[in-house]
Amino acid sequence: MRGVLSGILAVAYAAGVLPAAEPALPRIDFNRDIRPILSDACFQCHGPDENKRQANLRFDTKDGALADLNGHAAIIPGDVAQSTLLQRIISDDPDEQMPPPKSGKQLTTEQKQRLRQWIAEGATWTGHWSLMAPTKSIIPSVSNQKDVIQPIDAFLLSRLEQGGISPNPPTDRATWLRRITFDLTGLPPSLDELESFLTDDHPAAFERVVDRLLASPRYGERMAVRWLDGARYADTSGYQSDGERFMWRWRDWVIEAYNRNMPFDQFTIEQLAGDLLPNPTLEQKIATGFHRNHRGNSEGGIVPEEYAAEYVVDRVETTYTVWMGLTMGCARCHSHKFDPLSQREFYQSFAFFNNVPEFGRALKLGNSPPYIAAPTPDQQGALARLEAELSQAEAEWSQLDKTVDQTLRRWETSLDATTSSNWQFTRGQVWTQAFEMAAKEAETVPGRIGHARSFDGQQFFNAGNVGAFGFTDKFTLSAWIQPRGNQGGTILSRMTDVEHGDGYALVLDNGRLQLNLVKRWLDDALRVESAFAIPADEWHHVAVTYDGSRLAAGVRFYLDGQLVDTRINLDLLNQTFASKEPLRIGGGNGPKGRFHGLIDEVAIFDTALTAEDAAILATAETVGQLAAIPGGKRTLAQQQKLRVAFLDLAADADVKAARGKFIDLTQQRETLRETFPTVMVMEEMPTPRATHVLLRGEYDKPGERVTSGTPAALPNLPDDELRNRLSLARWLTDPRHPLTSRVAVNRLWQMVFGTGLVKTVDDFGSQGEAPSHPELLDWLAVEFSQPPSLDGAWDTKRLLRLMVTSAAYRRSSHITSELLRLDPENRLLARGPRLRLSAEMVRDQALFASGLLVEKLGGPSVKPYQPAGLWKELADADYVQDHGEHLYRRSLYTFWKRTIPPPTMLSFDAAGRETCVVRENRTNTPLQALILMNDVTYVETARMLAERIRGESSPLLSDRLAHAFRLVLSRPPGSEELAVLTTGWQAHRERFQQDPAAARQLLSQGESPRITNAHDAELAADTAIMGLLLNLDEAITKE
Amino acid sequence: MNTELSRRAWLQRTGIGTAALASLLPTSVNAAETVPHFPARAKRVISLFQSGAPSQLDLFDWKPGLADRRGEELPDSIRRGQRLTGMTATQTSFPVAPTKYQFARHGESGAWISELLPHTAKVADKLSFIKTLHTEAINHDPAVTFFQTGAQLAGRPSLGAWLAYGLGSENRDLPTFVVMISQGSGNPNDQPLYDRLWGSGFLPSRYQGVKFRSVGEPVLYLSNPPGMDASARRRFLDDLAKLNHMKLADAGDPEIATRISQYEMAFRMQSSVPELTDLSSESQHTFEMYGPDASKPGTFAANCLLARRLVERGVRCVQLFHRGWDQHTKLPTQIVGQCRDTDQPAAALIRDLEQRGLLDDTLVVWGGEFGRTVYCQGTLTANDYGRDHHPRCFTAWMAGGGIKPGQSIGVTDDYSYNIAERPVHVHDFQATMLHCLGIDHTRLTFRSQGRDFRLTDVHGEVVSELVM
Repeated sequence: MRGVLSGILAVAYAAGVLPAAEPALPRIDFNRDIRPILSDACFQCHGPDENKRQANLRFDTKDGALADLNGHAAIIPGDVAQSTLLQRIISDDPDEQMPPPKSGKQLTTEQKQRLRQWIAEGATWTGHWSLMAPTKSIIPSVSNQKDVIQPIDAFLLSRLEQGGISPNPPTDRATWLRRITFDLTGLPPSLDELESFLTDDHPAAFERVVDRLLASPRYGERMAVRWLDGARYADTSGYQSDGERFMWRWRDWVIEAYNRNMPFDQFTIEQLAGDLLPNPTLEQKIATGFHRNHRGNSEGGIVPEEYAAEYVVDRVETTYTVWMGLTMGCARCHSHKFDPLSQREFYQSFAFFNNVPEFGRALKLGNSPPYIAAPTPDQQGALARLEAELSQAEAEWSQLDKTVDQTLRRWETSLDATTSSNWQFTRGQVWTQAFEMAAKEAETVPGRIGHARSFDGQQFFNAGNVGAFGFTDKFTLSAWIQPRGNQGGTILSRMTDVEHGDGYALVLDNGRLQLNLVKRWLDDALRVESAFAIPADEWHHVAVTYDGSRLAAGVRFYLDGQLVDTRINLDLLNQTFASKEPLRIGGGNGPKGRFHGLIDEVAIFDTALTAEDAAILATAETVGQLAAIPGGKRTLAQQQKLRVAFLDLAADADVKAARGKFIDLTQQRETLRETFPTVMVMEEMPTPRATHVLLRGEYDKPGERVTSGTPAALPNLPDDELRNRLSLARWLTDPRHPLTSRVAVNRLWQMVFGTGLVKTVDDFGSQGEAPSHPELLDWLAVEFSQPPSLDGAWDTKRLLRLMVTSAAYRRSSHITSELLRLDPENRLLARGPRLRLSAEMVRDQALFASGLLVEKLGGPSVKPYQPAGLWKELADADYVQDHGEHLYRRSLYTFWKRTIPPPTMLSFDAAGRETCVVRENRTNTPLQALILMNDVTYVETARMLAERIRGESSPLLSDRLAHAFRLVLSRPPGSEELAVLTTGWQAHRERFQQDPAAARQLLSQGESPRITNAHDAELAADTAIMGLLLNLDEAITKE
Repeated sequence: MNTELSRRAWLQRTGIGTAALASLLPTSVNAAETVPHFPARAKRVISLFQSGAPSQLDLFDWKPGLADRRGEELPDSIRRGQRLTGMTATQTSFPVAPTKYQFARHGESGAWISELLPHTAKVADKLSFIKTLHTEAINHDPAVTFFQTGAQLAGRPSLGAWLAYGLGSENRDLPTFVVMISQGSGNPNDQPLYDRLWGSGFLPSRYQGVKFRSVGEPVLYLSNPPGMDASARRRFLDDLAKLNHMKLADAGDPEIATRISQYEMAFRMQSSVPELTDLSSESQHTFEMYGPDASKPGTFAANCLLARRLVERGVRCVQLFHRGWDQHTKLPTQIVGQCRDTDQPAAALIRDLEQRGLLDDTLVVWGGEFGRTVYCQGTLTANDYGRDHHPRCFTAWMAGGGIKPGQSIGVTDDYSYNIAERPVHVHDFQATMLHCLGIDHTRLTFRSQGRDFRLTDVHGEVVSELVM
């Protein structure tokens, strides 16, 4: 057990537990004692980065360090005198001394001593600890076995015993319950839960609490918060424009996955590569939103390729931080300075994530492709019910449909060319102009149907405020046109009347039909045109449909009812093209853009018509004229128009009803589908994009071409695979991977105990901090990835249970000056964690204690209180605060605008969500004090807590105060505490009695109504004291 | 108070618990570094950031030869195929757009300044101009982020956060790093800003800038809720302290002592901030000096006056952001408004600081995130032109503590398109600022994810001609 022993001592002195000058340092452990020195002091110039390597000497590999350098060597095992490394580090000559004085690096005497001892002992070399697969550590035996509940305790106690430190006794039950309830659910215990635990004398009482909490849906919400930080989840796209996006379906997937205790390997695979699984489910596709959570830049004028590269870089960095605790981002521009990660390997990782069919410029508003409709379970249920109904209706209708032809023929025979029926296709039509009523005007001429309007490039017809569409609206524009020669012009438009003006325009340009949707010409616009010219000087029906997708792919052209080929000239639409200009027929694009020719029967629809609809629309003949054409001679469209007219006008009642129901339900389904939230997902292009090493990390400096792969310092990626994201995810979750399980359990440890066993949870490389308890870390890692029973592999709840049922977790967090001196950061865990609550917990607890908290899992993000004008002053955007229950949801549902995050969350150290953050941070600032004292959230919760205790407690002041105290702190007040509260309450009441207006003002904060009819001054005094409780250090601390 | 040791002592005096303290101090070998590294000329800095990117061609970088080349295509020999933004990359023509404004030399230093900045012209000898500042990004977000944090992407600490971390505070009642925003009248809906520009990045969040606001409360959540007056708040805080002290005695956690002192700091801010933002004690002369906007809260002028009041009280870093300089089109109309907003107040700030003896140890800097193109964006007409983003050269000025005044650094080519002599990279600019504050930019570091980060990344050289 040499390693354990020396480890204990080494870390003990590193943590300041033992005097640093401990003389009898046991045998050197390379990873613990030497590598950190070499890494920090030497690797910068003698490390993995071949471009910066000096004197062809490297200390990051054994071969390099021991290499013969023309007859001498930096390190000669066992030979202190001949090892030039030692000569150089002890030299006083500035030209000789290493590290060079100008590097700013300096070795301490102790570090030099350690290097000397290591060489003397034979310079044993081992690979970096975190890159070697963990093996299951032997659980150490300790003298104090009765303090061992879980194996964890043996590891911790063994260390403490070596340092001669006795751990704190267990904390009281109430404190433990409050601690664990926060840790596993993010909320405090209720009084009922407290009561039942305090009176539960069953031996398994503690375990029962743990089981109850892990089964609570609040568990998933609590766990999701930290995962969202790493996943850089937010409700806006970031960068300058920072428009809203919709990723909450992914967020809810995470909550659900935690609540279902999805094994961490599956959790990993589905998020990294759910789309590549065989027959992926909707949920598996939603999971891949993980790697679409990065920021997206929609700023005008950016070079899309630049940001396309940034997104992929972000995915690489995030993947390495979250799963491997490696700072791969350092290898983007040059090989890593400290860890064995080359620049080439960075781009091999890049290649895994470089095949998404995405565009570097994100859409300003909403999700950017690729995204999918992601109905919620409720919506999926509604859809299934509707589809069942629809298929029933469809069956009924198709049954009757078969009978139609017979009755139709009978009806036809009753018609002839003189029939007056003027039936036209009108479903979805919002406006039409046939140019009949204007027959007396000079420009009116015989048209395709009745009269048409003639345009000669000078004038246009102002149709007024119709056809007001924006970029998410569906619409169809249609007309009969007879172009005059090749002069073309604008057929119809709603745009600023200048060339390339903002708005939409259907144009005939060089004979080609062209749709322009323009917010700002060239970089915020869309242009699609027909692949060929439309014959001039004859009548043609043109229709263009747009499906509201903001994409050129959502545009269709129909010529005489037939879909025509198009080509996309511009596909950069980013903002709405809605225009306040009138609809102009024959005009738009300025004086030079007027139409030359005839236009007739303009019709505008607020739907994107189908091909069948378009064909009917393009059939000019009246019903009577069609009936007069012998059945066999009609075109398909003519026959269809006749049939639809018949169904509308003259079919039997049961036929009409069945058809009506079918159409109605189809429409209902469409409407339902439109309410489905979408979520951005990963997709793979059929042909992968070529990936190159980017010289200096710059998008426009491609170097050597590379294919996907993993770093040589890590296990091999199996050769026989496709080497796609799925291969990567499986590689990560292979139990032999040295990092995945260590990094995951270390973060859980951080969550529970406040600091990771590896403090640098985001850096397991050679610059990261060595684990405080390496054997414990490895024991936990193996327990996670390869437990005794494989059923429990990657079982997060199981791992958490091991931690929170330990004796260590049960310890009192009281700090003695001795403990503070020996172990200020509590790395040895002689005491329980005493840590300020996270930003989310601080607020959620106040809502919970006051009874205001609205518990509802998932859904769109909400906008609770926020000081007015915050978005306005920075971004000219309006924060439209919600009302009612949305004010009181758990904080993980608060709308997160990346460039202007909720200020109270940031002040309490929430991660900013612009990039991946996995390290927890706690500060203690005056801004936190101001928030807890003055933010309406806390004034309102104080008032509602006051109301609540009046409803629950005896009217006696001391009872009320004690009750509130327990609600907030899960313990009764001491008599001195109660005395402070009581005299404080009396002072506040006296003031409020003298100043009733002040009482009323205080009681009017927040939108929740008054409940009790307590006297103003009394309730205001209550409110002041409740505020005091919520501000207590103990209230915002996990003890 | 200029050693690391005294900084620790100060942190402890202000009640930072030991645990927190340990996590605040850098863990690298540089932890023992003393900051400032050498005697500081400037103790404080005021940054007048002109967000959106002012046109160097219309303000400072006088190119008389362009008048004759009006409307000519920008020669390929000048453009050199360098990348353009997506807004003009597809333009078929790149006509030269000379400035329509007159330039003249000012002061003994003979600085060329446009007629748009008559007040700045009067203090020209106090300023030193850098004509050859250049940057890397071509779009606002990354470029502004680069200017403030030394990196284009999010996640790094801002200048003020670095200073708060490195130098601490000289004032116990006000934040160490204050930010104020104003909206230009030239282009009222121009370019958004983002909290990250004054964020603390990977530094502890206590170093982030505190935004002073002109609407609502001057600092978020500063005011007591209606119905709680100062005496009630005092009572509240006394009771809170009593209870927290009981807890401290029981739990022994020094973080509790920190908490108690932070509540007291919050209470002091409740009076010190309103006192600071109350301009009623300022003289009529002062208001006249800063111009008519000075009495309108939220204007650049009012913010300049507040900046002076802040540095008077020892606030380490004051950062103003003035929006509205992004003049892609209608530049002549918009720039007039922007200059009217900023010219007189910025000049007044220099004079005011000087009159109060503060200019010697207060560094003042003025500039935007990049420059603007000599070629016209959109249609060049007799009276109208626009200019696109131009990262290859732009002008900034520095004045006050540590800066040799009256200089002009660097020369651009005849089109103000490329640098002809003495390039100054944004990292050089940042290194120079830190130098004035007594900081060696290579030695103010913080370890994050295993690497010792600094404001200037691995670059930056002090512009030696500029500093004393």
